Amino acid sequence: MTAPDIVSAVTLLAGATFCLLGAIGVVRFPDTAARLHAAAKPQTLGLLLILLGTAIRVPADTVMALLLVALLQLTTTPVTAQIVGRAAHRIKAMKRPNVVLDELGTRDQPPAPPSTR
Amino acid sequence: MAVREVLRQVRCRRLGAVGLVVVWVLLWGSLSPIVLLGGVLVAILVIGVFPLPALEHRFHLRPLWILVLFARLLVDLVVSAVTVGWQAVRYGSRTRTGIVAVPLHVDSDLLIALTANVTSLTPGSYVLEIDRRHRVCYVHTLPLHGRSDAERQRREVWAVEERITRAVGTDEQVRVVLEARRRRERT
Repeated sequence: MTAPDIVSAVTLLAGATFCLLGAIGVVRFPDTAARLHAAAKPQTLGLLLILLGTAIRVPADTVMALLLVALLQLTTTPVTAQIVGRAAHRIKAMKRPNVVLDELGTRDQPPAPPSTR
Repeated sequence: MAVREVLRQVRCRRLGAVGLVVVWVLLWGSLSPIVLLGGVLVAILVIGVFPLPALEHRFHLRPLWILVLFARLLVDLVVSAVTVGWQAVRYGSRTRTGIVAVPLHVDSDLLIALTANVTSLTPGSYVLEIDRRHRVCYVHTLPLHGRSDAERQRREVWAVEERITRAVGTDEQVRVVLEARRRRERT
């Protein structure tokens, strides 16, 4: 086993672990809005690590395509989270006992205004 | 759609068009003339079919701060994956969450969009609603137990806003953000 093999093995396994954590979160978190956290963060990091592990082992000209996958993942994940999260909030699909603060639902009490102007 | 309108859109969004061609070339993994030509055609088609309003604000690229932004983003992504993963395993369905309103200081579509995007990749938070007119981001936070967590969340988003503004904002916008931080620290 050479050094790249070991690095690749470690990153692939770490990536798979983070994907697993994301999956556990999707199953265990109380409501849609919370599940999105699990789908967004551990999942993204897991994918990035797996791409890194793959990049070490494949020919250099395919690495650019992997970079593209990483870039698209980083730019689209937040958009998905926002759209689905907003929909979940609007149809009141959030479990109340778990939501301790909802400043979007109670917009009558806005926080301190921006300190400029 | 009128050909002239498409040409105008392409001219206004040169940078976006180049980006689309680059993506196309990366997808095909070759730089042959036919791929390049295809990329240019696809870019023109995409821009023609999905016209967008022009970004009304100028921006300023600062390479060093962009590097800081990316480095911090990677660190945040690791921390946030670990935090969320730990919450899932340890607390699961008993996890407490909340939505925090964060009033932003900058008044630019680009900076607000970037701030929302990066906030969604930092520990335990994603933006689920943007009130563009009042410049307020509504951030879903996990875990969140009370008011003090909400305050911490607000400070975190403001820190993201500051990093983004330093990386791509104009000098005037940087001044606004730094001024806001000085005021916060005084009170």
